[in-house]
Amino acid sequence: MRRALAVAAALITLLAVAVTAEVRLSSIQRADPLGKRLLYLPTAEMLGLGSLGNRGLAADLVYLWSIQYYSQFEPREQFLYLEKVFDLITDLDPLYFDAYRVGAMIMTIDTSASAAERREAVRRLYDKGLRNMPSSWELAEVAAWDALQQLRDPELAIHYAKIGAAIPGAPPRLRRVYGRWEEKAGQWTPEDSLAYWQAVLAEAVRKPDVILAKSHLYDAVARVDGRRLDPLLSAYRDRFGHCPDSWRQLVELGWLQRAPTDYVGNPYRIDREHCRLEPHKRIRWD
Amino acid sequence: MPEVYTSSSDGGAGVAEYELTVRDVHKTFDPGLLRRKIHALRGVTFEVERGEVFGFLGPNGAGKTTTIKAITGIIAVESGRIEIGGHAHAAPAAKRRLGFMSENPYFYNHLTGRELLRFYGELLGMDRDRIRRRSGEVLERVAMQDHADRPLRSLSKGMLQRMSLAQALLGSPQLLVLDEPMSGLDPLGRRDVRDIILAEKGRGTTVFFSSHVIPDVETICDRVAILIAGRVRAAGSVHELVARRAEMYEATFVGTDPERLRTPLVSTHVGGDASWVRVESDHRDELIRELATIDARLVSLTPVRSSLEDFLLGQFAIEEEP
Amino acid sequence: MRAIRAIAVNTLREALRDRVLYLFLGFAVLLLVSSKLFGMLTVGDEGKVIKDLGLFGVQFFSMLIAVLMSVLLISREVDSRTVYNILAKPVSRWQFLIGKYAGLLATVLVNLALMVALLVLVVLLYEGQLDARLLIAGAMTLMEMTVVAAFATLFAVLTRPMLGSVLTLAVFVIGHLTRDLWLLTGHLQGEGVRWLIGAAYYLLPNLERFNFKTEVVHSLPVPAAAVGWAVVYGLAYTGVILLLACVRFGHKDLA
Repeated sequence: MRRALAVAAALITLLAVAVTAEVRLSSIQRADPLGKRLLYLPTAEMLGLGSLGNRGLAADLVYLWSIQYYSQFEPREQFLYLEKVFDLITDLDPLYFDAYRVGAMIMTIDTSASAAERREAVRRLYDKGLRNMPSSWELAEVAAWDALQQLRDPELAIHYAKIGAAIPGAPPRLRRVYGRWEEKAGQWTPEDSLAYWQAVLAEAVRKPDVILAKSHLYDAVARVDGRRLDPLLSAYRDRFGHCPDSWRQLVELGWLQRAPTDYVGNPYRIDREHCRLEPHKRIRWD
Repeated sequence: MPEVYTSSSDGGAGVAEYELTVRDVHKTFDPGLLRRKIHALRGVTFEVERGEVFGFLGPNGAGKTTTIKAITGIIAVESGRIEIGGHAHAAPAAKRRLGFMSENPYFYNHLTGRELLRFYGELLGMDRDRIRRRSGEVLERVAMQDHADRPLRSLSKGMLQRMSLAQALLGSPQLLVLDEPMSGLDPLGRRDVRDIILAEKGRGTTVFFSSHVIPDVETICDRVAILIAGRVRAAGSVHELVARRAEMYEATFVGTDPERLRTPLVSTHVGGDASWVRVESDHRDELIRELATIDARLVSLTPVRSSLEDFLLGQFAIEEEP
Repeated sequence: MRAIRAIAVNTLREALRDRVLYLFLGFAVLLLVSSKLFGMLTVGDEGKVIKDLGLFGVQFFSMLIAVLMSVLLISREVDSRTVYNILAKPVSRWQFLIGKYAGLLATVLVNLALMVALLVLVVLLYEGQLDARLLIAGAMTLMEMTVVAAFATLFAVLTRPMLGSVLTLAVFVIGHLTRDLWLLTGHLQGEGVRWLIGAAYYLLPNLERFNFKTEVVHSLPVPAAAVGWAVVYGLAYTGVILLLACVRFGHKDLA
């Protein structure tokens, strides 16, 4: 009995010493400055070899670690090797969608980098993803929105939206987004818009997509008609000193065969203040 | 109830001093879930007097080795008491009195004989000089001095047995416990072991050993105990145990068949022209008269010498009776 | 004490005469020498990669020895019944077990010392200067192996050799992940679960406490308090495990 008590007392004492030591050790700051250990992450080849065929698993583990690591948000050196970490993950598993997505997202909030550096890093990662997953319109779509909303770079957004819209199987919404952004950027002529929206309408199947495509096509047609008809209105104003009240006056002059109608067959109005064509209805943007 | 004889070698003149006491020892092995427990020892009790040679007999599976393992502390017992030289058997003081030789030599193959003895000597708390001296002595006694520097893995079984005995003798023990010391030895080897045992007895060492070689036990043991199915069935001097067995005579005759005889016979055998029978001594004269009556010719009549083997077999037969 | 020393020396002698040890040394030498080749496949300073790989080899092979040798040195002793002759001598069971443990640790120490010496030499040849700090990392790896070997001894007593090896390996892996277990408590809901995880964290060995490779390889200051408390932690934890092993072995039937 005495022996059992002595053994129990020794066990408890040693355990108490061990726990005390562990608590003291937790409070001692250990150096890992500048995230230097990240520099010595093995390459994807080495890690892939070491994973014994479990490259995807190795990618998962590094990814999970990176999420934990970067979620302890202290903007300093964690971002120093951010691109290297996500390069490693995506080298191990080139089809790892989340790694591209989340990596780029973290890069967009990297406060240690300049805007230009952030842009380039995000672009490199997304370009790599699209090279490895050329059929992923999803990746192109998120890349486009990230570029627009996080990086505030419409040009880059249009670049990715264009890629995504061209991928077979891309949803109609992506095509519409791309078309809208191009129009807004002013890179298209009205004929370009018209051709694009006619193509989008031709591929639309679902009723909402048809309606929305028609809406954009309406606007494109209106722009084309405007380019043709606005000069006539300006010429009338120059000749008579005021904008015509109706199209009939132009018809009477013989400048038009009949009053022009919009895509849906309604006659255009005339904006007398600015003396230009005014479409009848404007369908909501999608 | 098993019969137990607890005579002492001094004829009971005084209370004998016991080197080894085993009192009501029980041991059960539990093989595990859903398997029956094995009651190996069921109240084993015996004493070994100081300076005597004590034999421990029994059939295979009786519990002899289990008893020896209990004495040496290799296994723990559930109940009972074991003392060596008056000390609890697990105490260091008890172990210092003990020299043990296992049934099979279990040694480190990476060592030589001399290195083995040096290792065991250190465990016995001997200093280097004493280890060196005693190693030389015991190696000479077991005739292994020329092979002591060979790796143990290169030695034959007989040589390993000798080494095993050497390490048991190393610490000049007061109690030698030997488990089947003559097993696997040729007649020369067995004789050497017997001589060593007797020599140790001459030095006052108490020797306790188990054996299947009954003639050896008969020759050198002062007392024996017979263990059957985990219990001591009988214990005492060899003379006492065999004397109890009734004397018999063996008669060889011609001219009749044993079946025709009316005299009670212990056993019969018919071979060719002659027959032989065994009768208890009480029926000897009756047999002679009957053979004379039926004109059968008695060829020979000799007393049958009782042996320990007979006694052991008899005890075994009693145990097997329903 | 004499019995413990005798058993430890005998165990070390058995290990050194056992060709398995040479195999490990061979592998370790191969790893250290090939670290120069590995350096070409990674991004970063080659010198530091050599140190990293070398220290990894020291740790890994020391762990292998602790895991596998415990099977050979302890389980084999019981299975081959050589323990019978020892326990018939005035040697208590706990002395036998501690002696075997000490022998096992001595085996690890010999191997570790040789590998660290080789690593120091390779680094000296490559960088042109002696990096004595590698000895600190090596010493703390030995401390880590003190704990691992204690577990190996415990499992050798509790179970069969193969399972014991696997369990010891598991302890080694878990021991390097306990810090993540602790971080996990910050993300969990529920006081009860957090308490449970916290208890598990303190009961499981935290082998990362002996990891000073980062400081050594990157020439950062090594906090003396961290080293000191790590030694205290290691010794106390080892004591707990060995005590449990001795208690179990004391009641174990060896037949």
